[in-house]
Amino acid sequence: MKKILLIICIAVLAQQLSAQVERGNMLIKGGTVLTVTKGTLEGTDVLVTNGKIAQVGKNLTAPAGYKVIDAQGMFVMPGIIDAHSHAGLDAINEGTSPVTAEVNTGDALNPFQVNLYRALGGGVTTIHAMHGSANAIGGQCETIKLRFGVKDPELLRMEGAPRTIKFALGENPTRVHGGGGIVPRTRMGVEFVIRQAFSQAKEYMAAWDTYNKQKIQKGFRGAPPAYNMRLETLADVLRGNIIVHCHSYRADELQMMLKVCKDFGVKRIVFQHVNEGFKVAPELAAYGAMASVFSDWWAYKLEVYYSTAYNAAILTKNGVTTSINSDDAELMRHLYHEAAKTQKYGDLNDDEALSLITINPARQLGIEDRVGSIETGKEADIAIFSKHPLSIYAIPMITVVDGIVRFDRSKDPDDMRIFVDPRQSVETTTLRETRNAHEQCMEGADYMFVKMFGLNLNEQ
Amino acid sequence: MKRFYRSRICLKFMVMLALGWPALLQAQQFQQQPQEEKELSPVSRTYAITNATVFQGPGRKLDRATVVMKDGLITAVGKGVAIPPEAIIIKGDSLYIYAGFIDGLSRAGVSKPKEEANRERPKDPGNPTPELAGITPQNDVRTFLNPSDKSADDLRALGFTAAQVVPYGNMLPGSGAIIQLTGKTSDAMVLAGKSALFSELTGAPRVYPSTILAVMSKWRELYRQAVQNKNYETMYAANRAGLSRPASDRILEAFYPVIDKRIPVLFEADKYLETQRVMTLQSELGFSLVLGDVKEGWDAIARIKSSGAKVFLSLDLPEDKKEEKSKDKKEEAGTLTPAEKEALEKRKAEFLALYTGQAATFQKAGVTFGFSSLSAKTSDIRTNLRRMIKAGLTEDQALAALTTSPAQLLGLSDRLGTVDNGKIASLVLSDKPYFHEKARVRYVFVDGIMYKYDVKETPKADAGAKAEITGTWSVTTETPQGKSEETVTFKKDGSNYSGSITGGRLAQAVSLEKVELNGNALRYSYTVQVGGQSFKVDVDATVDGSSYKGSATVGQYGSFPVEGKKDPNR
Repeated sequence: MKKILLIICIAVLAQQLSAQVERGNMLIKGGTVLTVTKGTLEGTDVLVTNGKIAQVGKNLTAPAGYKVIDAQGMFVMPGIIDAHSHAGLDAINEGTSPVTAEVNTGDALNPFQVNLYRALGGGVTTIHAMHGSANAIGGQCETIKLRFGVKDPELLRMEGAPRTIKFALGENPTRVHGGGGIVPRTRMGVEFVIRQAFSQAKEYMAAWDTYNKQKIQKGFRGAPPAYNMRLETLADVLRGNIIVHCHSYRADELQMMLKVCKDFGVKRIVFQHVNEGFKVAPELAAYGAMASVFSDWWAYKLEVYYSTAYNAAILTKNGVTTSINSDDAELMRHLYHEAAKTQKYGDLNDDEALSLITINPARQLGIEDRVGSIETGKEADIAIFSKHPLSIYAIPMITVVDGIVRFDRSKDPDDMRIFVDPRQSVETTTLRETRNAHEQCMEGADYMFVKMFGLNLNEQ
Repeated sequence: MKRFYRSRICLKFMVMLALGWPALLQAQQFQQQPQEEKELSPVSRTYAITNATVFQGPGRKLDRATVVMKDGLITAVGKGVAIPPEAIIIKGDSLYIYAGFIDGLSRAGVSKPKEEANRERPKDPGNPTPELAGITPQNDVRTFLNPSDKSADDLRALGFTAAQVVPYGNMLPGSGAIIQLTGKTSDAMVLAGKSALFSELTGAPRVYPSTILAVMSKWRELYRQAVQNKNYETMYAANRAGLSRPASDRILEAFYPVIDKRIPVLFEADKYLETQRVMTLQSELGFSLVLGDVKEGWDAIARIKSSGAKVFLSLDLPEDKKEEKSKDKKEEAGTLTPAEKEALEKRKAEFLALYTGQAATFQKAGVTFGFSSLSAKTSDIRTNLRRMIKAGLTEDQALAALTTSPAQLLGLSDRLGTVDNGKIASLVLSDKPYFHEKARVRYVFVDGIMYKYDVKETPKADAGAKAEITGTWSVTTETPQGKSEETVTFKKDGSNYSGSITGGRLAQAVSLEKVELNGNALRYSYTVQVGGQSFKVDVDATVDGSSYKGSATVGQYGSFPVEGKKDPNR
């Protein structure tokens, strides 16, 4: 086991050596700086050195060689973070099994997707590139920075970001897997699948702990437990090394999952979507569970009819760390609008509303000490808007990742493709994504909907 | 991109369906060489090619030299060497001799396993059998070799004499072998068995592992399990008393020689992102890596160099042709402006140049590489080599990539790759320097066996010749399973031709997409639909009065002889 860990460590180290992230120096002058955590500072400069915020203050001077951006009359905010996205991935669902904890979207990164650039055009700098919701326990997810322009997929990773994993409750896993002897077919089944997987992981962990203790004793001879990546990953969830991000809608399943977490000692959980979160906000807050929601998107299937646009505000006021996500390449480009809706529905103040798309998603991904606000020492992921980003008239002007300008409205060419397929005919070249924008969560698993509500659709 | 993994597998058997030869697969599989017992040996196994231009290796040219071969080995090369009296003499006055070419990754001579059409989705797609999951690393390509497979003949006709071949399959199809493109039995073809463990990042249709996500994690898991099992077996072998016996596991055992670095893992890594992902696996697990059929590697060169991977670049290139204006296609709303179109054309050309220049780029970066024919259309290979040369590869460098470099990469330098005394007698003889557009291969020697290519004076394509095709033609397509009869009708409207095809294995009449008659050179194409997939068939023929002869090419899946006869009554 130790050997395996060592191999992994060496591999990670080797990767970091091979991949060099580009970091820049710049001075952003005279803007209204929305720090999110430390108030709003007018006519303030932000100095960026080697990709990090070196100083926030007035009348700073740029050392030689620094890029200077004049932000007078503009608004400077931390780069937007989307806690639920499926952009930048070549595969989203390994929908063949109800439990696929071992898979990792970090293996399917595609830095050429033009969606990443379009997200930058909406001020987004970091996204949680998630596995889909076809399985009760889906795959591990990758937190990526939108360094659009890089070709090596390794350079998209937010190096050192905590590990996360996707779980899913309700209709998605039951309609993909249920029936024919395969659990889960019902919500009860979903709970069973998760409890069974955790129980097996617990046994696995115990077997390895015993073996590792015996192994160091002199003269010990014996077989190690069989290596199993699925259980190994789940054991890491139980050890608290992986944050659970759980697709969920209904209050009853939220309560169920909280109980499962409590029973197995899982402390770090973020509920995704959570349309009925407003019903159990105090319970979520008490457990320390977080919530990542849509502003006002619902009724696209039975389990999401009971919803309200006040959800984010109610959760926030009850002390739940809440974010607003997109789960969609189009919605991702105007998350600042989505955050602003909480001012109409729920009367959140500016900092509360901006937190929903900056520091709070950062907390949910465990990267709040690196990004999500404008503070000295943090990474220089910055979005510059023409007006206050919560105004409907705001236009994203410049987006900076690690001190490098990755989007500039004044230099925005028509063809941003990094990779061109010479087999594609020019006549059919389109900058539109052809895929269905909605329900990306289920992409790659749609062919498996042979059964829905107990009906075999193939026989209809 | 997303559906790539699934669709590629489908393609493999769809194409078989498209051509309607399910029985062909069976036939090939069981054609295990009934030996002809009374076959006569050649009069002599000694040959002398006299007075030829010999390229012993890249940059090593001999004029008016003689090459002597005896019993499958080269026994003398040079001027004024003694010609043994029993030698069959080939006058090489106008011939150019090269060492036989070596293909680094190919399926020449390998039969496709039988695919079950309409396979039902298993009850538990999360736990398929290893065969369904595409995990059969214990398989050996030698089991699937078929000495009479046409693909080996086609490749040999280009001058290839040896190839590293691999089995068909998905994630872990089995181990590869280095074969010579000759031999009466599968074993006789083999130069080296178990040359590499072959793998693709290809998911299994509808069962685990179906996506790149699961293929990557399954790969890691299998490898780590194999390491664990192997360590335990070692411990057990040292002192068995009191230890439970290790279970036998053919899948994991197939990894043992990889773990010991006795053989490398050979990956098909054509797309750029696949090349990267494969190197990620290698950097984590530490095996020796061979990247095969690389098509988009130019941005990964630095990482390839630091990974120490060996490289076989693809002989497939994107087509280089100006787009024809699609007249009949409806103009899309908001069609491109001329300026936009020009900008898009420019970017396309820029990337096309990267593909054709890949070999030269690798050469300049100092990476030793060979070639792979895996996904290349045989009929395009020589053109593509010329395109690479035009894009900056020198002829000597191209020759090295066909001979000395693959010999070195495959550990065969002591036997193959140059025309030197003591090496295996595998040669290619052309009537002009090989990379010349008009050069024709006249002889290929493989392991001392001579293959002679008569330059057939087939009715020459002649732009000036007059031919008339209007009317109905009975067309025979010769497929390995047997003949297929179709009816093709050509019509003439003004100066353009149109037409349709019916019969054979087509469910219904299909109109021809393109009919061109240039002098007596006839070209037409049509698309066959099978299971939602379409396969384009390109026919290229020469008309001679009331008949035509040529070939039908189905994508990269091969080409087959076609003959047409005009129906005099219609």
